Amino acid sequence: MSQLVVAGGPGFVPPSTSDFDLPSIFGHSAYSTKPVFLVALSVILISVFFIAASRKAAVVPSKLQFSGEAIYGFVRNSIGEEIIGHEFMRFVPFLFTLFTFVITNNVFGIVPFLQFPAMSHVGFPYVLALFSFVIFHYVGIKKQGLGKYLKGIAFMPGVPKAVYILLTPIEIATFFLVRPLTLSLRLFANMFAGHLLLLVFITGGDYMLHDSHIFMKVLSPFSFAFGIGMSFFEFMVQCLQAYIITLLTALFIAGALADEH
Amino acid sequence: MAKKPPAANTGRGRTDGNGINDGSGRFGAGNEEGAAWSIFGYLISGLIIWGGIGLGLDHWLHTHFIALIGLLLGAGSSLYLVWLRFVRR
Repeated sequence: MSQLVVAGGPGFVPPSTSDFDLPSIFGHSAYSTKPVFLVALSVILISVFFIAASRKAAVVPSKLQFSGEAIYGFVRNSIGEEIIGHEFMRFVPFLFTLFTFVITNNVFGIVPFLQFPAMSHVGFPYVLALFSFVIFHYVGIKKQGLGKYLKGIAFMPGVPKAVYILLTPIEIATFFLVRPLTLSLRLFANMFAGHLLLLVFITGGDYMLHDSHIFMKVLSPFSFAFGIGMSFFEFMVQCLQAYIITLLTALFIAGALADEH
Repeated sequence: MAKKPPAANTGRGRTDGNGINDGSGRFGAGNEEGAAWSIFGYLISGLIIWGGIGLGLDHWLHTHFIALIGLLLGAGSSLYLVWLRFVRR
């Protein structure tokens, strides 16, 4: 058994962060790598799907219209109206775009041949978090005025003044640093780890299949089976993460709109 | 990571942006999840800020214990803040 481990040890190259640095497709530009094309593809697919779904809107909806409306309805009612309250309609376009964009790119991670979640490159989630960050602060400042908004963030009412020394730095860090960071890093980390997990099982299974030892060949299908099982698990994570980033954005907007904290 | 998907919401009660309901209706699944993430954010901030200040002071004064005090202070303040925001209302 120990011989097996030794024999199997040095030959297998485990997947690493370098597997995420995909080569440029045209020339040597950083703007023509696979994630960039996948993001562009996602935008095209989302546009085509929802234009087709809403084009011939009928009282008795077709299957396409029904599925389009179901996704829209989910974002509008379960996230927008539920979290933000009576002013929610203004934010539905952004929330809906965010949700469909993230979920499509995430699910690309398990679609055969595409098989790469663009959000596993941290730059994409950073931009999305930046949008959320700018929007919820802008909404808060617009609604309450700059001074009142910042005061609401930094000074919790009903606390002895001395305690502000402890609490105010935490509040400011939460609103201006931790929120955008957790928003983006959570999405990034989930997609990164998920892709790595699938790589381990699939490349591991492939390696075992081509190993000379019969024992490894016999065990190889188990690795592939795990890879397939994990793909279903990943699908769940991908949907959940798209939901969570949208939900949190809605919560931050709701917080900025609320008159007092 | 693998939480159960959100259940259907009753759609009653307002949220205050920290993801907690004001008690006028039932808690929605989304609100609970939001509250959990908000609390997580506060705890992280407390540790980073006060732990970081402690670490800076340690570095400056060539000591080794202020970072620990900072972390404990940060954790304590965060918990107090969470209590203020989510429990006392």
